[in-house]
Parts: sequence; structure tokens; C-alpha cells
Amino acid sequence: MIDHDIIVIGGGLAGLRAAIEAYQLGADVAIISKVYPIRSHSGAAQGGINASLGFDDSWEAHAFDTVKGSDYLADQDTVDVLCKEASERVIEMENWGCNFSRQENGKIAQRPFGGAGFPRTCFAGDRTGHNLLHTLYEQVLKCNIKIYSEWLVTKLVIDKGRCAGCIAMNMADSKLGAFRSKAIILATGGYGRIYQRSTNAMINRGFGISLAYMAGVALEDMEFVQFHPTTLLGTNILITEGARGEGGYLFNKDHERFMSNYAKDSMELAPRDIVARSIQKEIDEGRGFPGGYVHVDLTHLGKDVINERLPGIRQISIDFAGIDPVKEPIPVQPGQHYSMGGVSSDINGRTPMPGLYAVGECACISVHGANRLGGNSLLDTVVFGRRAGIDAVDYIKLIQKADGDKLIEAFRQEEGRLQGMFGGEGGNFASIRDELQQIMQEHVGIFRNRKGLEHALDEIRKLKKRAAKLRVQSKVKVFNFELINALELQGMLELGHIITIGALAREESRGAHYRTDYLERDDGHWLKHTLAYKDVEPRLEYKEVNIGRFTPQRREY
Amino acid sequence: MVQLTIRRQDGNTIWYETFDVEEKPGMTVLEALFQIQEKQDGSLCFRYSCRGAVCGSCAMLINRKPVLACRTQLSAVKSEVILESEKEEILLKHSSKDESKEDVLVEPLPNLRVIRDLIVDMDHFYRLVNSIEPWIHVSEKTGYEENIIEPSMQIQIEKYTNCILCATCHGNCPAAARDDKYLGPAALAKVWRFCLDPRSRREDVDKLTSQVNSKEGVWGCDVVYKCVAVCPKKVPPTTAILKMRENTKSKSD
Repeated sequence: MIDHDIIVIGGGLAGLRAAIEAYQLGADVAIISKVYPIRSHSGAAQGGINASLGFDDSWEAHAFDTVKGSDYLADQDTVDVLCKEASERVIEMENWGCNFSRQENGKIAQRPFGGAGFPRTCFAGDRTGHNLLHTLYEQVLKCNIKIYSEWLVTKLVIDKGRCAGCIAMNMADSKLGAFRSKAIILATGGYGRIYQRSTNAMINRGFGISLAYMAGVALEDMEFVQFHPTTLLGTNILITEGARGEGGYLFNKDHERFMSNYAKDSMELAPRDIVARSIQKEIDEGRGFPGGYVHVDLTHLGKDVINERLPGIRQISIDFAGIDPVKEPIPVQPGQHYSMGGVSSDINGRTPMPGLYAVGECACISVHGANRLGGNSLLDTVVFGRRAGIDAVDYIKLIQKADGDKLIEAFRQEEGRLQGMFGGEGGNFASIRDELQQIMQEHVGIFRNRKGLEHALDEIRKLKKRAAKLRVQSKVKVFNFELINALELQGMLELGHIITIGALAREESRGAHYRTDYLERDDGHWLKHTLAYKDVEPRLEYKEVNIGRFTPQRREY
Repeated sequence: MVQLTIRRQDGNTIWYETFDVEEKPGMTVLEALFQIQEKQDGSLCFRYSCRGAVCGSCAMLINRKPVLACRTQLSAVKSEVILESEKEEILLKHSSKDESKEDVLVEPLPNLRVIRDLIVDMDHFYRLVNSIEPWIHVSEKTGYEENIIEPSMQIQIEKYTNCILCATCHGNCPAAARDDKYLGPAALAKVWRFCLDPRSRREDVDKLTSQVNSKEGVWGCDVVYKCVAVCPKKVPPTTAILKMRENTKSKSD
């Protein structure tokens, strides 16, 4: 048995920030991550991190933009915290060495972003996530925090109604370990790879979210899935909102700046849900290019601006599409990008399960509501990562460690379960995954309706039956990815199921959840959060939204 | 069809195995490896994460060049000619290879111990980088006041903060090949990044400068720019090493 006071699962921005805070407050904290921390998907974030640093900007203005962007589903008490603490967290990252881009006067530069009334997105070129991740990782090294790298957590252990540890597999030898702790901070990121077209890293399968669900913790607002308007045709690698923030235009095949038909004031800088739907509509109605895409055109910005502000985008376009944005427009289409939903958690990252915290994309705090604004997710990771670290340190002072019997029992059960996954013939991981991705993309995507969602639900139920029969044939112990894939596939199917059920139930259109059979937002019935609990089928309950100073109004851009 | 000939290893057993891959337009070597792992041999192992050349997980040797597999188009390497004579020796021993098909040779990144197949012991590389204590020391409370940094300085630092620690440089470095104590291009580039940064404390810069003034540091480099040639992020470690050599010389003068 391995003992730590606090275990952070996930080595991206939220996890690292939580670990640093807990360490600084004197706790024995360790990080478990299925990849070496700097390989985490946080590093792929491009455009930036929001903070109202400008003397004529304010955290209240930032909060208003966030709440309006969320289509009024965000909890306004948590949004206040997000926006109030933003400047301090961004400046802290600067103090720790993050190489932010600068204004002429040497202060942190800021760019305009979608749905924001002010240029408040701080950035490091178009590699903001990379710079933040490496900076936090450097501080983790400085603290000498223990990292269990390339360990996959397979189960959260609940003892007497609280989270008492976890079981994890060392990928290097497939051996299980029992980790006993007083608190666990889940920071495992999103599930983009349950969709066919996603900007997410290959590793983003939502396994951490599914672990909490399996442990009986509610998942909140899972039907709200963000589709990024501009992902590169073919690979769906992200083309940052910063490309439009720096002045890029969207054109359809008739060279029309079509956003004027959808958001005449904000144009290309309307929020993501609106721009993504507009692009998809252009494509669906035949005004896209053959193959289903539109253009984001940067050519008028000139080589210098592109090289200084968007060098990563230029490199990605050249490497993965053979196109130089200095000379030609970039072919883009919408793709899954972010999960507004996640493990239900509060203003300090606490989930309803004592001893279990959730922060970052795997959590639903909820600061993003029905649609997240660009630049708010990186902010979310450092603000609530830190707060969870503080709260967990307070929490562990009050409780004793579990005796460990339950942990040993769970360890034996997991050993048995994993053993049972090996065998002869029994389905193929990739074919089940491919079918799930195709169903989610087609029926649980940007545009949804009852018929499609019911069909998706039937298909997912069938896939779950097939997945139960899946057997791992490779007996290797060292990095057995066939075993890892089979384990994670079960979680992917659960999440697909929960998203679909939530989307079917919610008979309205709000933010990223758009029902073609219920076109309007319906505050009378649906101004509430969805909670999904584990049962034979995911069981849905609802809870109130925290409304503060901003009363819901019609959302126009 | 394209053939991938992959150097496999399990324990002390090493063999080369050829797989046929159904090529699709725009396919990368990483995607080809996934096709093999998912459809032909579930035991094949390699590291991956972002598939977009930002995370640095999938560095390996493709046609004897250290590259990121996700950034390497199959079409660009399938008809490449490998000049080194040893290649023939390897492939002659390997009977299932079909000479009429286009072939890509995939091997683990050199200068690091192989754990299995294409997965190498990155801990050695990380230990070297971490030994320079790569971080900014902040003693006072953080989050209150930003440092003022000239935009031109930010751009200079960026050349080095672009490093994703993928270790392709390490895999192509002749000094790293012969001396496992040599800090290597990535660590030395990072040292220079912290020397440049106005946020570094004077005493830390002095400590770094004296630490690398050794044959395990800047004097171990052959100055052959092999690291610069393969860096997927265009980081120039050799430039950094030369600047640091100048600095230590001018100090001792």
C-alpha cells in the first residue's frame, strides 16, 4: 500500500496547480498521471488565458461576458470567483516564468477573443498552454513533488461514504498499486475522443470522469459539449480563436463573409457555439467547399503579424495540411473541443463525495454553463486547481486515514477484473470505438433532435453489450496498450450514454446544446443543471442554477 | 500498401518485423502505427498523446532520422533512400520484406535505453534536464506585480521556451551517444533560457553558468549542429552553447 495525504490524478494545468498549492501548505501530496505531465493536453491550448488586467476593464465585465456566453447556465457565485481571482493567477504564472507575449511597454499583452467585450486574453504567441504547462511543471520540480508517471488509475475507492484512495496500474509492468489517501483531487481532463472529429489529444478519453461516475458521484451538465468553429480539415487540429482575434476572416465557397448573416455586430468574434453552428449551417446548405469546410483567411494580416502572433498556426497548417496561411486561406470545419459538463463540484472543487475533488475540464464547477468562452478554460484550471489544493489541505486535517481493509479488498477485486479481461476472441477495441465516435458525431453533435438521439441511445446500448465481451489477446506486461484501450473504452461508452440521455431529456436549445426540434431557450422549464447518477441506465436529476447579479436575458451578439 | 519495418524488442530479444499498412491521404507515421496496433498486433507499443506536434511524446527514428512520428507524413518518407550500409544488413536478415513495396524503417530513439519496442527510457533524459534545476526562484509572494519585460527579450526567450522536451536532439547528438553524463542539447538550451530571463536571480544565473562550464556541459558539445537540424520546434541549442562558451571565456579573461 502506498500512502499520501493528498493524491492528485492528472498532470495537466489543474492537477499541477492543485499539487503546488497543497505542497506549499505543507501536505504530503503526490501526482498520478497516465502520461508524463508535460505530455498532457493542457499543452495544446493555443489562444490564451483571460484576466481583466486593463485599467479600463473590470472583473465584473469579465463576469458578465462569461455569464452571457454561458447562456445563463453558469453558477454566478463561481463565475465571480473565476473573474475576481484571474489577474492574481495570471500574474503569478508570469512571476513563475511564463513567457507571455508583451506590449511595447513591457507589460503582458492581451488580444480580443470571442464573446468578450474587451481584449482581455493574455497569451504566449499561440502556444499559451504549452508555456503555462512547462512553467507549472518547473515549479512542481522545484517543490520535488512525487510523480507517479505512466500510471493509470482504474478505480476510486470509497470507504464509509468517503473517498479513501484509488487503485492504479503501473503501465510499465501492468502491476496494480493500492494508494491510500485522505483526499483525491481529480484533474483528468476531457473526453473529446468519444467524437469522430475532435481537437483533443488521443489520450483524452474521459476516463477520470467515468471513474467518479462509477464511484457514485453525480456528473453535471454532460449534454453541453463545445464544438470549436475552426479545426483543421483532415486532422481536426485546433486553429485558435486567436486567428480570428488577430483579424482573420471566415469565408464560404462564394467568398462571402457569412458571419454577417448570423452575428452582425460580433462577426467572427461571436461566441463559439454561434460561430460553430453558422459554419455547420453554411456547409449543410451547400455553401461550404466540397468535403465540408470553409476558409479562415489570414493572408491580409501579412507575414510579420502571422509569424509573431500565430507562428504555431502557420507551422500546423504547413505540417498537417500543406498550406501556408501567409499565402492561402486555411480549410477549417467545426470539431468537438471541450466539455462544459463534468464531475459535479463546487466553488472549492469539492464534489458531493467527501474527500473527492474535481477541477479543470473533468469538473463542472459550473463556470462555463452551456457554452464556454475562449480563454476561460486555462483560467479555470489555475483558479480552481489552487482553491481545491487549499480546501483539501484543510479537509485532511479533520480526518483520519481509512484503515485500509477496503482498499485491499478493492485491490483484489481490480486484480480479478483485469485478469478476466484477457482471453481469446471477443471483439475489437477499434471497431467499437469507431462506431461510438461516428454515432456521437452524427447524432449528438452540433445539431440534435429526438429521432437522432433515440437512435444514438439504442446504438450505444448495443455497443456496451459488445464491449462487455471484449477480450485482450496480448499478454505482454510492459506497456500493454490493448489492455489500456479495453479499460478506457468502457468509460468512453458510459460517457457517450450519459451525454446522449441528457441531450434527449433537455427539450430546449441553450448554448452548445441545440435541438432542431426545440429551437428556443426555455428558462421556465430548463434553467437548471442536469445531474446524472449511476444506475442500470444513467438516472437524471436536476438542480437549481445560482443566479446572481445578472438576470437571464435574450442572448444576442 | 506501404510497408513499415519496425524494430521490436522485448527484454533482450530484438527483431525486425514488417507490417503492411493501408495508406490514406495525409496519413502520418503515427497513424500507421495505430493501424498496426489496432488491427494487426496489439502488443506493439509506442508513446503518443497530442498527434499535433506539440506534446513531444512520439519521438522516434524514422528512416534513421529522429523525428516526431505524428509530424511525419507517410508519403514523405515511404520512398526515401537510406544511405547507411547497415540498413541492408538489417533488412537482409528479415525475410518477409517485399522488395517491390515502398518501405519505411521505424526504430526507437537512440542514446536512450529501450524499454520495449519503440518506448525508451525517458527518465534518463528528464534527469539530465532536471539536474540544472530548471525553474525561476520566487521568494516573495507571487501574483501581485508583473515583471516588465521588453518585447524583444520575450522573443529571444521564446526561441528556447518553444522546446517541448521530445528528446529528438538527444537522439541525434554525438556527444550524448558517447557520454551519458553529458547534459545534452535540451538541458543546455534550457540553461541559456534561464540565463536570458530577467526574472532569474543573479545568484542562480551564476550557479548555472559555473555548472555548465565543464566537459559535461558546454565544453562537451561537438558543435556539429545535429540537434538544431532535427528540432521540430526550431530551437537552436548549439547557438545557446556557443553563447555560454563565450560568456565563460570572457569571465575568465
